[in-house]
Amino acid sequence: MTDTAGIPAETVRTAPVPPEESALVITGLSLWYGGYQAIHDVSLTVPRNQVTALIGASGSGKSTLLRSINRMNDLVEGVRVEGSVTYDGVELYGPDVDPVEVRRRIGMVFQKPNPFPKSIYENVAFGPRLMGFRGDMDALVERALREAALWDEVEDKLRSSGLGLSGGQQQRLCIARALASDPSVILMDEPTSALDPIATDRIERLIDDLKRDYTVLIVTHNMQQAGRVSDRTAFMHLGRLVEEGPTDLIFTNPKHELTERYVSGRFG
Amino acid sequence: MSRAGAGDRAPLPAPADRPERPDMLDLGGVEARRRRRRVRAFEAAVFVPVLLALALLATLFFDVITDSFSWQVIAPHNSGRSFAFAEGFAFHRTWENVVRLELLAQGRTPEEADALLADPEARRLFAARNRVELMPWVDGLPLRWLVTSSRDDHVADLPLFEGVGRRRELLASAEPGQVVLLNAWLDWSFFLKNASRSPAMAGLLPALVGSLMLIALVILLAVPLGVGTAVYLEEYAGDTPFSRLVELNLSNLAGVPSVVYGILGLSVFVRLLGLGPVILAGALTLTLLVVPVVVVAAREAIRSVPDSLRQAAYGLGATRSQVVFRVVLPGAVSGITTGVILAVARALGETAPLLVIGAAAFVPRPPAGPLSPFTAIPIQVYNWVSENDVEFTHVASAAIVVLLLVLGVLYSLAFYLRRRYESRW
Repeated sequence: MTDTAGIPAETVRTAPVPPEESALVITGLSLWYGGYQAIHDVSLTVPRNQVTALIGASGSGKSTLLRSINRMNDLVEGVRVEGSVTYDGVELYGPDVDPVEVRRRIGMVFQKPNPFPKSIYENVAFGPRLMGFRGDMDALVERALREAALWDEVEDKLRSSGLGLSGGQQQRLCIARALASDPSVILMDEPTSALDPIATDRIERLIDDLKRDYTVLIVTHNMQQAGRVSDRTAFMHLGRLVEEGPTDLIFTNPKHELTERYVSGRFG
Repeated sequence: MSRAGAGDRAPLPAPADRPERPDMLDLGGVEARRRRRRVRAFEAAVFVPVLLALALLATLFFDVITDSFSWQVIAPHNSGRSFAFAEGFAFHRTWENVVRLELLAQGRTPEEADALLADPEARRLFAARNRVELMPWVDGLPLRWLVTSSRDDHVADLPLFEGVGRRRELLASAEPGQVVLLNAWLDWSFFLKNASRSPAMAGLLPALVGSLMLIALVILLAVPLGVGTAVYLEEYAGDTPFSRLVELNLSNLAGVPSVVYGILGLSVFVRLLGLGPVILAGALTLTLLVVPVVVVAAREAIRSVPDSLRQAAYGLGATRSQVVFRVVLPGAVSGITTGVILAVARALGETAPLLVIGAAAFVPRPPAGPLSPFTAIPIQVYNWVSENDVEFTHVASAAIVVLLLVLGVLYSLAFYLRRRYESRW
């Protein structure tokens, strides 16, 4: 039933990322859930301190690709990965690499806000505590909450439950929680799909601020969002990377027919 | 009347052939009234068993509570004199006061009485044979103190309500020198007295301490074992033949009759390990009995922790054990506590396995430690009920009231915890 008609054998690339700007380099990545192949030979370079958007229809493998970058897929039973993902030249799938270590360096924000049923403060402090952080926790929590543009709203209720916040605030709390571990890369899996337009706008502006210090990779269903927040866009279809390039070019002048049909809203 | 089913591929009937569609808003019609009647009849039918169960429960409570009171006519061994309430009462020193009055009434001098009360051994002996009772109805006067003795001759024993109905008869039947009193078998001293061959002097202390020590040991053993198993099955074990075998065994173990556990405990802990019939052996046996209950409850609680929280923790670089100890167990703790309390309540009421491993019938003093012979409340009740003396039925009732009270407290705690932490996410 997999209809691969029209998918190019080679990913169409526009204005490739120069090697000196590249942070994450995915090369020939394939992934199987048991006997089902979810990702087919994907190669993608993610530039440092930029926002890269992954777009594509449901089931195109964009979330799976995102989760194989910080090795979250290792937690799923029966997963097999081939190919390579490197960060700053370090192979993340190397034989002596601990996936736990990878996840500490590459933060993740999920589709649905998922704060722990703990206080706001403890939510942010969770990651540093895991690593046995012994320094000034108050300062660290404040810095992370400021970076996530949440500090002003929660400054005087740090001890109350994170579950008492609104959906948008919860998601920014989750972003602060990821930032507190001081990651190099932040992966976002449809971070605004459960939020209202105003909360979405806050998060989008936040993402724009974050790229100053972090490399951001975001999966989104929302084409306007990809257009607004990202510098580069990669379009996936049926587990394959069809086309990638600077966002404005992908949207105004897509080279491949599938990309053109998707960004103009004719399928997906 | 029925339309052609989809299965036999018959053509749909033409619109004209369709039966008339009934009035959608048939609110007051015959059909609606019939429907409402059926609903009411069904509600009544399910309500009757509930009512029946409540009535039975009320009867049980009424029975054991009234049974722990009785009217008695006794020929006192002591002076037989009673003392006015104000005369004997003193905060914290009532017992000494009344005993002193009794000793004086027996003809001792004040110096002798004080010397007796000051000597710990003499006090212990006196307390083992005599009890100070607050009697609502002695000599026809309200609220007087009486010191009864294990050597009193109990002439008559009437149930609570019969005694009230035949009050005149009861008072008239008392010969000179005999006393009529309402004996409250479940009084404060019932918790402090040791076992005795004399029903009036028999107390619950050894059984109460035995039960509490049993429970403490069961919690200590069953919680790590049960919660550990649950964590293993939910968070570590995949769907392997081994984990399926463990699961199958657990669900089967939960249904094994408790006597069988008793036999297992007897052959393994009492004989093979050579522990003898001691508290530790009893606790190990009860642990086997309740671990499946704890495992099932703990797995339920662990499964109720949303997977998104585990994902969040893993995404922050938590190891598997960090996820278990920082996210899963804190989220499951209320459910686990509820399960443990229910399991403990079950262990508290178990009689058969303890009888089989050889819990003692008569334990004069509270057990000293986990390696002492012991008895427990249900065993004590069983032994008292099988005594010949009618008065022991009152003692047994008093013990049942205590057992039910402890169970009630445990169940309320479980109920409270469940309500308190029900919807955290």
